Amino acid sequence: MANQPGSEFTRRQLLQRAAALAVLAGPAAGVLSACAGGGGGSAGTTGTKSATNPLAVAEEAPLDVVIFDGGFGVDYAKYDINLYKKAFPKANAAFSATQKISDQLQPRFANGTPPDVIDDSGANQIKPGTLVDSNALTDLSPLLEAPSYDDPNVKVKDTLLPNVLDVGTYNGKVYLLNYGYTVYGIWYNAKVFREHNWTPPKTWAEFKTLAPQIKAAGIAPWAHAGKYPYYMGVPIMDWVGKVGGKQVLIDIDNLKPNAWRVDAVKASLNAVLELVHNGWMLPGTEGMTHTESQQAFLDGKAAFLPCGSWLENEMRKTTPAGTELTVLPMPDLTASDKMPYGTLRAEAGEPFIVPAKAKNVAGGLEFLRIMLSKDAAKNFAQATSSLSIVKGSADSVTGSTGLASVNKVNTAAGDNLLAYRSVTDWYPTMINEWEAATGELMAGRFTADQWIDKVQAAADKVAADSSIAKFHRDK
Amino acid sequence: MRFRRLPFIAGFLIVPVVLYVIYVVSPFVQTVFYSFTDWGGFSDTQNFIGISNYTRLFQDDIFLGAVVHNAFLLVLMPVVTILLALFLAFMLNVGGREDSAGIRGVRGSSVYKVVLFFPQVLSVAIIVILFQSVFRTDGRGLLNAFLMALGLVDPNKPVQWFNSPDLVMWCLLAVMVWSGVGFYMVLFSAAMQSIPKEIYEAALLDGASRGPTFFRITLPLLWENISVAWVYLGFIALDGFALVTGLTPDTGGGGPDHASELISNVLYRAAFTQGKFGLACAMGVALAVFSLLLAIVQLRITRRDRIEF
Amino acid sequence: MTQLVTAAPTAPTPESQRARPPRGSFGVVNFFSQGFLLLWAAMVVLPLLWAVMSSFKTDKEILSSPWSLPASPQFENFGRAWTTGHIGDFFVNTVIVLAGGVTITMVVGSMAAYVLARYSFPGNRIIYYAFVAGLTLPVFLALVPLFKIVGNLGTIPVIGPYIGLNSYAGLILVYVAFSLPFTVFFLHSFFRTLPTEIAEAGLLDGASHTTLFARVMLPMARPGLISIGIFNVIGQWNQYLLPLVLQQKQSSFDTDHSVLAEGLLNLAVAQGYKSDWSGLFAGMTIAMLPMLVVYVLFQRQVQAGLTAGTLK
Repeated sequence: MANQPGSEFTRRQLLQRAAALAVLAGPAAGVLSACAGGGGGSAGTTGTKSATNPLAVAEEAPLDVVIFDGGFGVDYAKYDINLYKKAFPKANAAFSATQKISDQLQPRFANGTPPDVIDDSGANQIKPGTLVDSNALTDLSPLLEAPSYDDPNVKVKDTLLPNVLDVGTYNGKVYLLNYGYTVYGIWYNAKVFREHNWTPPKTWAEFKTLAPQIKAAGIAPWAHAGKYPYYMGVPIMDWVGKVGGKQVLIDIDNLKPNAWRVDAVKASLNAVLELVHNGWMLPGTEGMTHTESQQAFLDGKAAFLPCGSWLENEMRKTTPAGTELTVLPMPDLTASDKMPYGTLRAEAGEPFIVPAKAKNVAGGLEFLRIMLSKDAAKNFAQATSSLSIVKGSADSVTGSTGLASVNKVNTAAGDNLLAYRSVTDWYPTMINEWEAATGELMAGRFTADQWIDKVQAAADKVAADSSIAKFHRDK
Repeated sequence: MRFRRLPFIAGFLIVPVVLYVIYVVSPFVQTVFYSFTDWGGFSDTQNFIGISNYTRLFQDDIFLGAVVHNAFLLVLMPVVTILLALFLAFMLNVGGREDSAGIRGVRGSSVYKVVLFFPQVLSVAIIVILFQSVFRTDGRGLLNAFLMALGLVDPNKPVQWFNSPDLVMWCLLAVMVWSGVGFYMVLFSAAMQSIPKEIYEAALLDGASRGPTFFRITLPLLWENISVAWVYLGFIALDGFALVTGLTPDTGGGGPDHASELISNVLYRAAFTQGKFGLACAMGVALAVFSLLLAIVQLRITRRDRIEF
Repeated sequence: MTQLVTAAPTAPTPESQRARPPRGSFGVVNFFSQGFLLLWAAMVVLPLLWAVMSSFKTDKEILSSPWSLPASPQFENFGRAWTTGHIGDFFVNTVIVLAGGVTITMVVGSMAAYVLARYSFPGNRIIYYAFVAGLTLPVFLALVPLFKIVGNLGTIPVIGPYIGLNSYAGLILVYVAFSLPFTVFFLHSFFRTLPTEIAEAGLLDGASHTTLFARVMLPMARPGLISIGIFNVIGQWNQYLLPLVLQQKQSSFDTDHSVLAEGLLNLAVAQGYKSDWSGLFAGMTIAMLPMLVVYVLFQRQVQAGLTAGTLK
């Protein structure tokens, strides 16, 4: 599933990077398109607006879609393209699939010939911030204000789960439609726990009582993808938000001076360090990739593993029969955590975009409108065992312990949802240092203070660098 | 001999030169141009900002660290590869048992020559996958499993290889040497075979043992091959992109904590994830100038007299 | 050093039968060198065998017990890599591009190298160094401008569609241009080792420069041509950066002309999302074996060419 916001860090896997050699961003279009005659983009062709065609799609205009071929696969896109073809039988609509979004599409952006819709996801995602910053994206408000596919009396935006547009909102405008919905947490195999008569811990104290028992049973209490420290960001940052409250994460994202030098950060880091120093880690996990560590966890070598809700789908092929994957919110760290037990990080992911220079902007928006129809959303949930941002899309999904537990904790969390953007997708230089610091922490080479110094310094550097465009959020 | 000489020269050069100018020279010229701009990668415009990208480079700790790591590889990789290749080639050609047939290579040397060359034909993607499994950091890694079986490594504290700041560069070096040695071994071995055997036999009759034979005879006679090898290896040492991004930790590789950053992957990250295309071009130009200097130095060393017609 | 080697070096022959006093230390050295060679050969062969072995395993076996033998060989991995991984199509595309790329590289490369090596004229050095400088430039820096250039060539009337993006000929020409530095560098030193007398004799006999090149010099340079040809086959076979950018579909309506290296990387990248490791290793084996076979078949020529090409 590889599609969550910030998933560019999640989904890395060694070859991706080798593959990623890639195109260095699209070149100075100005200079080159002068001789290129490229830059053929305009607002795109349009047709006549009508009740059934509220976005005024030109009926014969071809529609070119690029889908990220990740954990969701491409079957759902096939289905949606067919829906589009049914609605516009005269149009030639097709999609292509790739894992290397950025490598393949940056030259096309630079050349002024981008496709009409892009599923901009995966490790090789084009940074949304960069695209927004370059005015390369279409504002999605016409789509959101349009009548929904199923009921002309309800606007598209009213068919969505609450707050799911926040992630794609930059400076007040929605540029990205994050179609999937991801819950983060720590995972365990309920079957193993039942057999050993262990209770999943709700507090850190309970965890610390349980961990020695797990270890005594010959299982490592904790595994994580140390090669990609992004994954340990889940427990660290979730705890920061849970202990210190949402405002701490908002201050961090807004680069407020000394935002990282708060007790919540230190408490969270020290708790993680206890995992390291008490010998509760799967030996070698600090250098393992996500697939390696996830497989070790599924093979029963470790009891807990931090990950997003794509885990079940991603490992489907190699999950031992009888495994009961279950997600757990972060345990209470202190008696005075600002957020109650059950607080989660849950976000919309899998960003779909319509390039500003697409030849068929209206068609691109219409394709998204079709994707947000009940029919398409239901098909997506069935095809991918995943939630989408359309209300009720997963009502029909059953038979998966992982997704059932995700649904359960997500409902239980209510409004107690956390988010952070600066170290997942806003500021790449900061992400880099945050990752490096976390890697050192997990290898036992950093103390909490060293971690904080390094990350704070990176934040300060971004704040002071006038060449980096800054983003801001209030909630 | 001047007869129709110029048309001939022009006729032979026109196609290669035109192709080269269109597809190689002009893109790099454009790159130089971008290196003087603040272009981010997607905008329609860029501003000319003079040399600020270059001055910025010299204040960038990560880039400077990458230069140091590249220098480490630039010095050690060719030296280790060449020494190993020489040693293996020597063993193959004159290292064998001395018998009635005189000086010869070890048994099975023709098989070794084929097998040891294999890494040269593997795509780097395959090499990355192989070594990810070899250097895996838990007990399922080939090396760790091997060392644990020998009792050299505590199963609870497997070696961290690429995830250890002290080992990571050495591991990269090992992978580079692994993939390069076979080629140069075949190269040196072929060269050694063209050295007349009588020279060796005379030396042996004079009572010289294997070591002095190698240093007094083989090495000087191979000197030119060695220095050509050094140039090739230098270029390889300056790149290393696929290995470092594929095998080392953190986003785009270069970890842990920047312990293995190379110019190529810092450059890639700047252009690709940080939206600093102009800066990345400046890094690329710096890298190109660096390797060009290396090439010039080497060409001076290995320079030959011109053949005149 | 002045020896000229224009033919394959012959293996050492047991020509000298002189008796010689035995030397004890040699036994130890021999044992040591055999051991070291064996060790190194094992280090090379074992990972490759492991990759081939993995291609017969199930995904679960690959991940859970990476070093054990497959319980039962999974031949369908190859079928899956060939069909759903499109390795078969990519194979054909690769062969087409390779056939054109290597042939043209050899022709134009040897022409340029020959002229630069054996004729002095104003600008000779500049052109030669311009080619050599190409060896030092990081390819990926050129990609984006290159994308535009090839895209623009594609808009030329009539021939455009054949040399533009996602066309065989377009990629072939780019391969040729990027293979020229090494080819010219290598063949340049090679042509200079060829004896001057023969060329002079040929010209005195009234042969034209072209005839001299085609009839006399090229045949004499055969070992060098074969080895550089093999390097170009290896290099272009494994090239993935250039096709990744230039040989991609320019819209969803295009035909897919991807080459094998890209296909392999697609499989590899997909592992992070789908865990189809067995398909990856099967694809890898399919991509790896032809090159190993080609090398084993031509290794004598490669070795001969290497000697000839670098001994001055």
